[in-house]
Amino acid sequence: MQILIVEDEASLMESMVSYLEIEGFRCEKAADYHTAVCVLDKHDYICMLIDLNLPGGDGLELVKLAKENQSESGIIIISARNTIEQRVEGLEAGADDYLVKPFHLSELVARVHSVARRTRMKGGEVLSFGVINVHPEEHTCFVNQKQIDLTRKELDMLMLLMANRNRVVTKESIADYLWGEYGGGYGSYDFVYTHLKNLRRKLQDAGCPDYVQNIYGIGYKFSLDKSP
Amino acid sequence: MKLLTKSSLLIATLSLFLFFFMGIIFFQVLKNMSISDLNRELSDLKELVVDYLDDDMAYEVEALPGIDSLSVKAVVSPERVEETFGDTLMYDSREDQFKTYRYIQFMTDIEEEVFLVKIFKSTTPTDQLVERVTLMMTLMVILFLAGIFILNRFIFASLWKDFFEAIEKLKQFETSKEPVILGEQDIEEFEELRQVLELMTRRLAKDYKELKEYTDHTTHELQTPLAVIKSKTELLIQSENLGASEMKCLQAINTSVNQLSRLNSTLTLITRIENRQFTEKEKIKLTELLDRHLELLDEHIDLRKIKVEKRYRDEGLELLMDQGLADLLIANLLKNAIVHNIEGGAIVLETRPGSLLIKNDGPPLEFNQEELFTRFVRDTRRSGNFGLGLSLVKKVCETYNFLIDYSYDNQQHMFKVTFLD
Repeated sequence: MQILIVEDEASLMESMVSYLEIEGFRCEKAADYHTAVCVLDKHDYICMLIDLNLPGGDGLELVKLAKENQSESGIIIISARNTIEQRVEGLEAGADDYLVKPFHLSELVARVHSVARRTRMKGGEVLSFGVINVHPEEHTCFVNQKQIDLTRKELDMLMLLMANRNRVVTKESIADYLWGEYGGGYGSYDFVYTHLKNLRRKLQDAGCPDYVQNIYGIGYKFSLDKSP
Repeated sequence: MKLLTKSSLLIATLSLFLFFFMGIIFFQVLKNMSISDLNRELSDLKELVVDYLDDDMAYEVEALPGIDSLSVKAVVSPERVEETFGDTLMYDSREDQFKTYRYIQFMTDIEEEVFLVKIFKSTTPTDQLVERVTLMMTLMVILFLAGIFILNRFIFASLWKDFFEAIEKLKQFETSKEPVILGEQDIEEFEELRQVLELMTRRLAKDYKELKEYTDHTTHELQTPLAVIKSKTELLIQSENLGASEMKCLQAINTSVNQLSRLNSTLTLITRIENRQFTEKEKIKLTELLDRHLELLDEHIDLRKIKVEKRYRDEGLELLMDQGLADLLIANLLKNAIVHNIEGGAIVLETRPGSLLIKNDGPPLEFNQEELFTRFVRDTRRSGNFGLGLSLVKKVCETYNFLIDYSYDNQQHMFKVTFLD
């Protein structure tokens, strides 16, 4: 479960490393282009997080290099460059995903999981949490082996919470993850609550314990152990 | 009006004026010349006639060559008349019409008797000559003008070729941002134009590049510290041993940093629209665009129990614009209609040929209507937005010369976008 992080901003690197390490990933760090080139083949990474503006070179070249080396690692570009052209350029160079700074760590984790699933497990993996089983490829969810009917957004929300198990996921990050540009700026994040309420009801109706905790109105935590 | 049309028209009007006046003068001169010729001929005839009359050969006078008609009358009164020339009409029985004649009249004494003699000469041959010459001249003028026109066309095309090439390249500059570089010109003025254009577009291209880089760097420089704050806050929130009051602080930081990063990306977006960095153009069906955005905003609409009424009077209305900007325009107009709506209010979407109307229920504005599209002017009753949405809308409209109007009537805000084409 090795991840390569190429990022020149030390604090940000530190945040990503601590968040991902709790999740059980081991992180290889590279703060500039040349270090990154040296460690590119060091491990069989499940995912590479690559910043574009790097001292000593362009992150896009790293992406191309990794692809030339037939690396099977998933690649997520993390960049402040936010135009459609730049995104397209990144994805065309061979990246699997493109995350614009500033991002939520919870979203990063969810995307790392999803990219790793796509590149490693060829999508055939089953995500489990307690009595819940999710088949991401088929967009289906089972509670106690019984399929329940979730909307696309409810399933995405469930997967985000599952990827960030035992962590507080803020309302803003849920909104940004599910609604993107349409998430923020509407005065309130009550719609997140409404959606979560529906999800919880559907899960509980199927006999699933309530794994969701509300943390001081700041966000939600998904955990087997309900005592905070 | 095209340069060629304009120059052709100028040449045509000027030469018509010129030839018209020249024609009149030419005609007059010709006419005068022919009259003085006739007069001279008549004077010669007069001497001949006087000789004949003196020799008492009046019967032969009629047969003198060159005389068309002659009248000799005895005059009783002793009053003398000076020799004069004149024009008159006389009936020609052979051709059954009146004809013009030039005559000379004079007095002469024959054997103590005074006679008034008038010698007539037909002007028809000279008139005909003048007519023919004039006709010839007119024909030549027409041929000459036609020649000038055709020549002008050829000369124009070859002389201005480089000029039109320069215009074409300038048009491309908008999209390519490459300096306009043309070959050297042998016409001095064009050479000057070429140099000025090259200098100007080089500077523009450089400015554009620098501005782009500046925007790029600013975003980057701001986004990175924001990313640090955001990620650190998220890490802190995970701490197990935080109390309610610390969590409240963190929530406030979290909310603010999210707002700040949204503000930053919106401001960057406005700058990029102002820099005309959205240059793609595609046909976008307005009703489909509206429907897609309504679907994306479903949650927000449902949450506030807003009723959406569609009045698509023009289903086929198409816009030719950048997809990203089209999304931005509609997203922000709809967002505005949702955010400033009342609980359980209504949104009316109406498409008409060439325009879009978006109406929503809501209390009247608490600031001046003119400031509506200005940055950072916002309804203070709501927190969490910066008053940038409508200035984004305005910028998009300015980019494509769309007109945007606002009015408030009957508890309803109304935005009207008119797509001029």
